[in-house]
Amino acid sequence: MLCKISLSIWMATVIIAVFLLPPPQAQLGDVSRVFFFHVPMAWIAVLAFLLSLIFSLQYLRKKDLNYDIKARTAARLGLLFTILATISGSIFAKTSWGSFWNWDPRETSIFILLLIYGAYFALRSAVEMPDRRASLSAVYAILAFFTVPFLVFVIPRVYQSLHPNDSVINTRLQIQMSSSILIAFLASLVGFTWLFLWIFRLETKINRLLDEMEE
Amino acid sequence: MSSNYVPMIVTLVIWVGLFLYLFKLDCKIKRMTKK
Repeated sequence: MLCKISLSIWMATVIIAVFLLPPPQAQLGDVSRVFFFHVPMAWIAVLAFLLSLIFSLQYLRKKDLNYDIKARTAARLGLLFTILATISGSIFAKTSWGSFWNWDPRETSIFILLLIYGAYFALRSAVEMPDRRASLSAVYAILAFFTVPFLVFVIPRVYQSLHPNDSVINTRLQIQMSSSILIAFLASLVGFTWLFLWIFRLETKINRLLDEMEE
Repeated sequence: MSSNYVPMIVTLVIWVGLFLYLFKLDCKIKRMTKK
C-alpha cells in the first residue's frame, strides 16, 4: 500500500514539475513538454526488450517455464511502450513538423521494431506445445534484440533525421540540459521505470496464475 | 486554452491509462488469488 501511495505521489509530482519547472522551449512552446513522457516511454521499451532477452537466455539455460513467462511479459510490455512512444511522438510530430507520420529514419526504424516484436507474438501463437513454443520464442527474442541497438540508436544517427540527436546527450557524450529540465526529466524517467517494473511484476504473476489454471 | 496543450493532454491521458491499467492488474490478481 505504501508503495502505491509513494508512486502516486511521485507521478503526480512529476506531472506538476513537468508543467511548472522547465520553461517552455523557445521555438516549440509547451509542446516541447511531451519530451518528458515520450523519451521515458522509449527508454522503457528498450529496457523491456532487454529484459526479454535476459529471461529468454535464462530459459534456454535452465528450461524453466517461469523464465518464458517473464520473457513474454517483458516483450509484451516492450511492445506496449513502443506503441505509446510512437503515439506521443506522432502527436509531437504533427505539431512541430506538420504531419503525424513523416517516414523519418527514427519513425521508420521504430515501425520495423514494432513489426519484429509483433512477429514474436505471431510465432508464439503458431506453436501449441509449451516447451517448443518457449524454446523457439526464446531464440527469436534473442535474435530480435540484436536489432534493437541498431534500430533505436544507430540508424537514426547515421541518416539525416528530423529528430534532434542531441536532446538528451550531445555528440561529445555530455548531458546538455539545464538543471530544471534535467530534474524533471530524471524524475519522469524514475517514475515511469517504477511504474513499468510494477506492471511487469503484476503481469508476470497473472500470466503464471493463468498458466497454472490452464494446466 | 492554448492548442499547445493538446499534445500534453493526450500524453496525460496515456499516463492515466497506464496507471489505471496498473490498478486493474492489481485487482485482477486479488480476484484470482481469492478463488
